[in-house]
Amino acid sequence: MAVPIPSADTIPVAWGWFQFLLLLTFPLHLLAMNAMFGGLAVGVVLQFKNDQVSNRLAHRVAVMLPLVIAFVVNLGVAPLLFLQVLYGHFIYTSSVLIGILWILVVPVLIIAYYGAYLYDFRFKTLGSAGKWVGLLVLILLPCIGYVFSSNMLLMALPERFVDYFQHRDGSMIVSGQATFLPRYLHMMTGAVAVGSLFVALLGRFRAARDRELAEYAERVGMRTFFVMTLINVIFGTWYLLSLDREEMMLFMGADPAATACFVVALLMVVFILVMSFKKRLVATLCGIVVLVYLMSFLRSWLRSALLSDYFNLGQLTVVPQYSSMIFFFACLAGGLVCVGWLIVKTAGTLASEQ
Amino acid sequence: MNYPVWYLPEIGGGLLIAVIAVLHVFVSHFAVGGGLYLIYAEKKGLRESSQAILDFTRQHARFFLLLTMVFGSISGVGIWFIIALVNPAATSLLIHLFVFGWAAEWVFFVVEISAAFVYFYLFGKMDSATHLKVGWIYFISAWLSLFLINGIICFMLTPGAWLENAGFWSGFFNPSFWPSLVFRTCIAVMLAGVYGYLSASFTTDESVRTAMTKFSARWSLAALVGAVPSGIWYVLALPEPAKALVLGKSPTIVSAGQWGAGAAIVVLAITLVVGFMRPAVNTRATACVAMIGALVLLGAFEWTREAARRPYAVNEVVYSNMIFKKDLDSINRDGYLHKALWVENREITPDNRVEAGRELFIQQCYACHTLGGVNNDLKALTAQMSHNALVSYIGKIHQIRYFMPPFAGTDQEAAALAAYIASGLHGKELVAAADQGAADPGLELFESHCASCHDSADLAPATEAMNRQEIVETLASLDEISDEMVPFDGSDEEAEQLASYLYFLSERDDAPAAAIDAEALFESECSACHAVEDMGELVSGWEKSEIFEALGKLDELNDEMTPFTGSDEEKEALSGYLHNLGRDN
Repeated sequence: MAVPIPSADTIPVAWGWFQFLLLLTFPLHLLAMNAMFGGLAVGVVLQFKNDQVSNRLAHRVAVMLPLVIAFVVNLGVAPLLFLQVLYGHFIYTSSVLIGILWILVVPVLIIAYYGAYLYDFRFKTLGSAGKWVGLLVLILLPCIGYVFSSNMLLMALPERFVDYFQHRDGSMIVSGQATFLPRYLHMMTGAVAVGSLFVALLGRFRAARDRELAEYAERVGMRTFFVMTLINVIFGTWYLLSLDREEMMLFMGADPAATACFVVALLMVVFILVMSFKKRLVATLCGIVVLVYLMSFLRSWLRSALLSDYFNLGQLTVVPQYSSMIFFFACLAGGLVCVGWLIVKTAGTLASEQ
Repeated sequence: MNYPVWYLPEIGGGLLIAVIAVLHVFVSHFAVGGGLYLIYAEKKGLRESSQAILDFTRQHARFFLLLTMVFGSISGVGIWFIIALVNPAATSLLIHLFVFGWAAEWVFFVVEISAAFVYFYLFGKMDSATHLKVGWIYFISAWLSLFLINGIICFMLTPGAWLENAGFWSGFFNPSFWPSLVFRTCIAVMLAGVYGYLSASFTTDESVRTAMTKFSARWSLAALVGAVPSGIWYVLALPEPAKALVLGKSPTIVSAGQWGAGAAIVVLAITLVVGFMRPAVNTRATACVAMIGALVLLGAFEWTREAARRPYAVNEVVYSNMIFKKDLDSINRDGYLHKALWVENREITPDNRVEAGRELFIQQCYACHTLGGVNNDLKALTAQMSHNALVSYIGKIHQIRYFMPPFAGTDQEAAALAAYIASGLHGKELVAAADQGAADPGLELFESHCASCHDSADLAPATEAMNRQEIVETLASLDEISDEMVPFDGSDEEAEQLASYLYFLSERDDAPAAAIDAEALFESECSACHAVEDMGELVSGWEKSEIFEALGKLDELNDEMTPFTGSDEEKEALSGYLHNLGRDN
């Protein structure tokens, strides 16, 4: 049976704009997601250790958790929107194929989010029960990651779309695919690594009030980051080797730009390992931001390669509506001014409190 | 046909959308009006130097944050997910047309959550003037989110000039944009008042409870009053078919309207009685009743708006079953199964007819009909219909019931769909169409050439004054009667046969004697909506003459019915049949 590929809708401006916006916003979502999941993972482990300073640090993580979740969701909206504009005919199809899991994301996220508020607002009154609430949220969040990984993988595997006829109810599972497990583990291990940097950063923000906490956070955070990044190098290699030879060779000379990006990313991995070993928080943070962007570019290259037999972005038809894009950028500028003002006023208020 | 259908026959995608959407709008409108409420509640506390009112406001802000930030924002994402699962074609159209509208809405979402966090976490810590400014930033960005979403939702109902010029702004500022925006703003403010009641009812300080109950009552009453003219303006802005549906032609809207009116009365009564006359009576139970009333009111409004758009997902563009209107002709010509991407049966054979019909059901009917579910259960709706009645009904479904999309496909495909419903769902015996046609070639010609637009009873008056030869001549020049018709293109012999059929539609002295089959008449005219048992109950105790009279003016009994248009003999036979049903009951 021929692979059913839906026809694409027209786009209002050249596809490069959407690709730019997608690659700009997706890493921000990833960084926030990493802070959420990895931060909570470290926080819950600390709470299980149950000494005073660990508990204080776990409390700081709990306080930040609902705020971080809000931004994970928010920063996830933009890339999902731009992804749907560029690859809608693939992502809508794959979403239907795993429809049951896909819609379950909503109730699971609501439960996890309310759990996070409970963990924050009742941290002290919950006492030792709090860590179990944290653990529940910690278990729910990677379930959502599992569904997202499944969908993002399936959308780039159109040859599996014919399985629809055995799964009209949206019950398809793709985690048996060879690339799924290394891809998922690479993503989640990276999240724990970056999340532990977030914990270190939280401690530093608290340094003026609680020096012991700050030093402890930085020690725990940097050490966890170093170890998890080393482990993730193994998962990353496994992921690379799990790809078909044609896709793997993209990053090994077949495509010069992709290869160059891959080499720079590898150098950046070495850089952050060295910086984290030396306990240089800011340098490690800067390095990880650059690395997450580079990894997102590599991911985009891989998706284009996987879909190349069926589609390339140049096939999208443009029906120009540039005024709507100007309107968006004007709103974005205004929005950033508002957020900037809020940050300044918040910082001023918090500074006057100390 | 471009996208796969997520098929959950006992549940139905429509129900999932309805549940998520109604709960979401109940919170998201509160997220708009509630922001303004917080600002004015805080100002009231500051003006009256009342720490108790400020504490109430802070507590309300916490409730507001927990509800809007968690349930509101995640259920908003939930709507996006569920509409893309249930109707990916229409969702894709909306995403691609309005991508920068959605993107701008995302910007306001960023500002909204940033301001909400600052407002709540720094309540009492930040200086009041700055804190109120943060509240205003929250409210304005929340309202601008509503502004943007409103434009896109209204586009679905009234695309307006976009249909001609395909422009972003024409689609956005469409005919129902402004009335809907005013109406939704009123609803948002009303909800702020109703949620205010709820918070007030949980307050232990009696003076604060009384003061904030009265304060909340002013909000909900003013908004309810404002909602009435804006609601009327909204209805007036609708295109004619949608307006007719809202004003009584759609059974689902009639039902939603009754629920909505009842709920509005409940909210109004609580606002007046509890809010103004006896604010001390604002108990948790009363506040919860007001909340339920507001939820039902909003649910009825959203249900009405959705139903008024039918048979389309985007009016005049794409039907609710993902078939684009522009593709209809080619699908009817070439066949649906040939063109659809997500079907296994591309050719219909005697062996796969029922299975192909099932795929047609999934692709074309399941968007609105479940099988054994609570919403529009097709099994129950078609239980009384024979295969032949279904074939006839499917062919003219959109003409009979405007709010249902036309069947897209060939006659053979329509028959396959009918076969699935009659045989696959109900286990009824299928009668070959050829056997039917052989009995009356005129009827067969009528069904293949005329029945897609004309009911035979409607043509009787048109041919009443003609003889057979005149009808033959008219058939050859149908395009002179209407641009929408083409001349009959059959052979001379076929024209004679068809003319003969049309000739005897009217009472003729030379009409061949034929017994009228009242049961068949009931099946073709009534059984689409009425089960035999229910009908017996309905006419129980009626005289036959009363039934005879009533058949001629069914529209007076119920807006959804049209008068029976058969001959007096048929009416007589049907009256007798119904009378017997009533007597047996």
